[in-house]
Amino acid sequence: MFNFPLANLLSEPVGVAHYVTVGAILFICGALCMATKRNALGVLMGIELVLNGANLNFVAFGSQYLRNDGHSLGLDGQLMALFVIVLAAAEAAVALAIALNFYNNHDSIDVDRADQLRG
Amino acid sequence: MQPVTLQNVVDSLVDNTLDMSLPFFRPELALCATIVILLFVRIFKGGEYIPSFFIAILGSITALILAFPAEGFESWATMPRQELFTGMLVYDTLTAFIRIFLLSFVVLFIILSRLTGIADAKDGQDYYALVLGATLGMCIMSSANHMMMLFMGVEMASVPSYVLAGIVKGRQRSSEAALKYVIYGAGTAGVMLYGISLLTGVLGSAHLPTMAASLADLDIPNLLTTAEGRLTVMVLVLGGLMLGVGLAFKLSAVPFHFWCPDVFEGASAEVDAFLSVASKAAALVLLLRVGAGLGLTTAELPVADSADPPRVIAVAANETTAPTQNAVLVKQVADSQDATHVGGGPLSPVRRFFVILVSLIAIVSCTFGNLAAYGQTNIKRMLAYSTIAHAGFMMMAVAAAIALAGRDVVDARTAVSALLLYITLYLFMNLSAFAIVAFLRNEMHSEDIADYAGLIRTSPLTAVMMTAVLVSLIGLPPLAGFWPKLRVLQALYMAGGPLMTFVLVAAALNTAIALVYYLRVAKTMCIDPEPDTRGAVSLGFLPAAFVFVVSVPVLIFGILPGPLANWTDLAVSQLFS
Amino acid sequence: MDPDTTLPVLLMAAWLVPLASFVLIVLFGKYMGPRGIGAGYLSVLAIVTSAIFSLIAMFGVWLPNHDFPAAHESEHSSSTHDGAVVSATDESHSKDSHSNNPHPDYYTGDWYSLGEFGTLKLTIGYYIDSLTVAMFCMVSVIASCVHIYALGYMHDELHEQFVDHEVTLSSGEHLHRKGRFYRFFQYLSLFCFSMFGIVIAGNVAMVFVFWELVGICSYFLIGFYIERHSASTAANKAFIVNRIGDFGMLIGMMALWSSVGTFAFGDMKNEKGEVEQGLFSLLRPEESEYQLAPPAGMIAEQKRMFAGDPNASAGDAATPAIDPKRNTQGQWLLFIAGVGIFCGCVGKSAQFPLHVWLPDAMEGPTPVSALVHSATMVAAGVYLVGRFYPCFSPEALLVIAYVGCITLFIAATIAITATDIKRVLAYSTVSQLGYMMLSLGLGGWVAGMFHLITHAFFKGLLFLCSGSVIHAVHTNDMTFMGGLRKKMPITAYTMLVGCLAIIGAGFPLSVYGLSGYYSKDAIIEQAWSFGSVNPQHAILKWAPVAGAFITAFYMFRLWYMTFAGQPSDPHRYDHAHESPRVMTGPLIVLAAFAIGIGWPIFHVNDLLEQGRPVGTLSATHGELLTNLTIPSEHDSHVPLIKIPAGIAAFCTALAGVLLASIIYLWRLLNPDELKESFKPLYGFLWNKWYFDELYNYLFVKPTLIVSHCAAWFDRNIIDSILHTSAAICKACSKVVDALFDQTVVDGTVNTLASGTWGLGLWLRKIQTGSLRQYVMFIVIGTVALFVTISIVQAYFIPTS
Repeated sequence: MFNFPLANLLSEPVGVAHYVTVGAILFICGALCMATKRNALGVLMGIELVLNGANLNFVAFGSQYLRNDGHSLGLDGQLMALFVIVLAAAEAAVALAIALNFYNNHDSIDVDRADQLRG
Repeated sequence: MQPVTLQNVVDSLVDNTLDMSLPFFRPELALCATIVILLFVRIFKGGEYIPSFFIAILGSITALILAFPAEGFESWATMPRQELFTGMLVYDTLTAFIRIFLLSFVVLFIILSRLTGIADAKDGQDYYALVLGATLGMCIMSSANHMMMLFMGVEMASVPSYVLAGIVKGRQRSSEAALKYVIYGAGTAGVMLYGISLLTGVLGSAHLPTMAASLADLDIPNLLTTAEGRLTVMVLVLGGLMLGVGLAFKLSAVPFHFWCPDVFEGASAEVDAFLSVASKAAALVLLLRVGAGLGLTTAELPVADSADPPRVIAVAANETTAPTQNAVLVKQVADSQDATHVGGGPLSPVRRFFVILVSLIAIVSCTFGNLAAYGQTNIKRMLAYSTIAHAGFMMMAVAAAIALAGRDVVDARTAVSALLLYITLYLFMNLSAFAIVAFLRNEMHSEDIADYAGLIRTSPLTAVMMTAVLVSLIGLPPLAGFWPKLRVLQALYMAGGPLMTFVLVAAALNTAIALVYYLRVAKTMCIDPEPDTRGAVSLGFLPAAFVFVVSVPVLIFGILPGPLANWTDLAVSQLFS
Repeated sequence: MDPDTTLPVLLMAAWLVPLASFVLIVLFGKYMGPRGIGAGYLSVLAIVTSAIFSLIAMFGVWLPNHDFPAAHESEHSSSTHDGAVVSATDESHSKDSHSNNPHPDYYTGDWYSLGEFGTLKLTIGYYIDSLTVAMFCMVSVIASCVHIYALGYMHDELHEQFVDHEVTLSSGEHLHRKGRFYRFFQYLSLFCFSMFGIVIAGNVAMVFVFWELVGICSYFLIGFYIERHSASTAANKAFIVNRIGDFGMLIGMMALWSSVGTFAFGDMKNEKGEVEQGLFSLLRPEESEYQLAPPAGMIAEQKRMFAGDPNASAGDAATPAIDPKRNTQGQWLLFIAGVGIFCGCVGKSAQFPLHVWLPDAMEGPTPVSALVHSATMVAAGVYLVGRFYPCFSPEALLVIAYVGCITLFIAATIAITATDIKRVLAYSTVSQLGYMMLSLGLGGWVAGMFHLITHAFFKGLLFLCSGSVIHAVHTNDMTFMGGLRKKMPITAYTMLVGCLAIIGAGFPLSVYGLSGYYSKDAIIEQAWSFGSVNPQHAILKWAPVAGAFITAFYMFRLWYMTFAGQPSDPHRYDHAHESPRVMTGPLIVLAAFAIGIGWPIFHVNDLLEQGRPVGTLSATHGELLTNLTIPSEHDSHVPLIKIPAGIAAFCTALAGVLLASIIYLWRLLNPDELKESFKPLYGFLWNKWYFDELYNYLFVKPTLIVSHCAAWFDRNIIDSILHTSAAICKACSKVVDALFDQTVVDGTVNTLASGTWGLGLWLRKIQTGSLRQYVMFIVIGTVALFVTISIVQAYFIPTS
């Protein structure tokens, strides 16, 4: 019913598949960013990328214009995207506060310095 | 049929919200109000003289009272399943039960925080607001019926927990724990959200029952015969796994448990109690909701409701043009029922996937948690691994419940009842264990197991209670921990099949493995000689009374599990129908 | 108020409050006020609360809802003369004149089900009739008095350093220990709780549970001065002797359950609304007009028992040949059950031959003696006989009567020579209990229960008085007392009231007298009524009369020796003083009860009549002993029996008082000379009929010899066999060990253990503490899961 034939993407008009591909790329970038960055802020940015990749999916799946086959998420998709933006903001605020607290105690926001707890 | 105008839509929404949904939402509203009061009370002059503790405890007790069913617990036996807020949340006996559980816990927890002094005058209002906020999130988690509510509940429960982990300021370990927790949590939340987006996108809805219905429409066994279909299934599996990552993070299930020992060691013991009891309980119920929500539709149930003809049958009836295909489907269904023991129906592949996933994670978590707890020197870290192991054990009950739900509703209810019994007794065991650790930390300024040596001589009540709790955590018969384990094993046995038998064996083996490290602590406290350097250790009257009150149920329910088991049986009496 | 719902709740509250007090004192007793004084107040508060609840249950619920059997009474009194004529002329007709009584008003139910094992249901339930309520009031009121009294009596224990003058250490000093005030009250509360439990119990199993609890409490309390050798021995003796009785009780319970299949007393509805019949209904079915009829299960069980044994089956076959009319079906089993249950009562109520523990139990503090002897422990045995009454066959009742008769006589004679004030009272208790058993055994249910209640009050009073005296003169020995009347008037005169009550003082043939007058005369009337229809058992008729004489003698001997005459020990006399008000208050209260509780205007008798057990009103005939007739209790009130019995009782009591006065008050006869002239008899009585020696030689010594033999056998024969075989095994195992164990088995086990441990330690290494690695694991974990699940689903889970 739904497939994502990458080869056809370039030759077709812009549809759900294009958005989902961009979302997937954002997700992978975000995941890589999370796993490789040593700076805590970089890691947080990676998380934002992951969330935004998912958000893009929601918006795309929710759009009636992109996918008018009755299986659209409809307003649910838009609403979820909005909620996720709010939640991401809240999470980011908390994460930044915690990073600041970490900086106060360690004089650094290098996540590799967080290695006292182990074993 | 009324015309669809904005006015009508708004009217019906308001009616639905005010008349139907809000009355069931009163405990959550009480929590919200308490949080707002906590935060705003200091704006007003003289507000700082009102202790936050009183506001918090009053609010949580109010919420708890509101959570009790007005017509008594017997009304649970006939309570129907209701969807609130146009299907966002679901209210059934399970919601009611877990809400009472969470709010009772939070009342005890607030008292504990007050007694240990972690919430002092300066931080009190923030601390209690965070605790109550996280509880609110857990309430939403455990009643979620919509993917958005699921995600929001998880986030609302997690974000305050991140802060709680680092609430002790100026300690390197504490801040490290909070950082690890927030980054790991946010990362898994992102993965989960992506998984949700894939699932909802493919299925065209975020409402769990509707998703289940469209999953049934997809006709997965048939889908697997074409290349395109296999791709769709692959996306679904990927989405399901990613959703599972988020849940596994909340459950601290292996391999997404890494945050757990570090956070437990770095955070204070009180917060650990909160994370290990309330958070786990809500996550387990959520896992059960996801499993039952996606794996079952009304058509899947052995006892079909004749008044409401299930949608799937209607679909099958439309396809009369292809009788052969239908026959194949019927045959497959019949065969799969014999082979995999998850029952028949078009959703049996979903259930099979869920059951395999959860069982595998459960076995690995249980075994890993128990093994890694060996050789720990910090009591909080050891208890963190113990938490991982217990979460694994409880997940087995969820797997058994979903496996049974397709075949025999009554047996499935027994499995859920075992889970609820486990959660409830786990509250007493872990809360008292962490309370003792917290009080001892206040007295001895140490959380090393070695420093507990010979505690029975200076503080016999503490040592005896701790030993009882630890023995109960192992699951040895005279104490309460034995019964839920027994009932989980019983549920696994009822589920049958090669996979469940394997799980059963693993569970039984793990009980034996767990013996070693719990008893090591008990031995240190009760047999080892007392070090000369330590002074007298005395908890004081109120802490001792608190520990006593919380741990005595471990003894009582060990001998008389009947009333509690009856209660949990009552709480599941309407499930899956 | 609806008695069906309120009575169980009220009595449950009365029952559980002492338990709450016990739990609180156990947990926090040490911290309650200076040296635990708060524990005493808490305990008093609890028992007074119980008393209030009980009294509310009595006056607020029971009495307003249950009329006295007034109609019956009037009918009875109007037909008294007719009945007398009839019973004198035509005995068989008298049976019909009283139609058999149905079940009394009762309320029964279960609070909590402990478990079901097949058909065996173990529950915590209640069975409430007028006897239950009356017992609750009696026990709680007396226990309240004793508790309050104990606050004063035990104040020594409040000291940080309690000096026990009766214990001398090897260093020659007296024992110093911490005061145990709160612990005393903790046990008292538990004791009351247990006693209430027996009274309210709705089935035999629950009775047994609380029966044992009472036993263990008495063990704690008798052995309260645990450092005194005599106290710990007495505690052991009480416990062991009671256990012997309980063994019989277990047999009785097994016989009952295996044949009847229920433990519950009354009928109760189960969840389905069906009526589950209790013991009373099953054993006395309505169809047989409430006559004792062994149910089918019992008959079958007896047949099975006898058929299994060839000799018995021959006897069984022979029995009908002798007398085909006799219906012995199931009667033997019923007899065994009855006697078995009675065995328990023998132990607890200190009846012959298990009466030896009670006098030794005087080692406990006096308030305990008062409680044990009046309202609680010994009363429990009599109460159980009363409660279980419908299940006793006439033969079992005869056994009870004889045991009671023997007990009352033996104990009374021993009391004549005892000089320890508490021992005299102890033997008088044993003797009075004998009276109650005798009365019950002869069919006088109301008389026996009535005596139980009146006796509880005056015996409680007597003990508390003796405690007051002991408190004043610091000795138990009456030979060191005398003349104390002037020093402690309240104690002396309240005790005199007690003495008069126990001998049954009253105006003969009138309705004026102290409480003992009514109950004791009722017993003697019943005995005479029994004797008139069973001439072969005439001894049962005369023993209570003789007992009344002896009772009067020794009670007044006690009073004269203590309070009258000249002080025999001037030093002690000078230091004596009246007890504080907290002790004399209860004395006065109890004295008032001892005087008035039996008066007809208080209707205690009528109250008990309401609770008359089912089917016990009419005369019954033995099935095994065909010439045995248990007369109807109402027949004992006919003037033909009542008048001579009343006169006999009065005369003997008066004679006893006179004799005591001659010897001890007016000193017309010298007691020492009497002692010399009756030396063999005196020695015999002084040594308590040599029961302790007898038991020592009969049971204790042989047991010790056997156990020594067994120990010798064990040490020298079995051990040497064991040692030899052990040595052989050891040698073999060494060989095996060297060859096989150390290499293969140990290797495996050690590898496994260290492997597990090593695995655990290695697993810790995964937890590197590096956050980036953790995040990496999210991805790796997801992928790994994907792979694993694919493999499992594809290869391990068989699909179609």
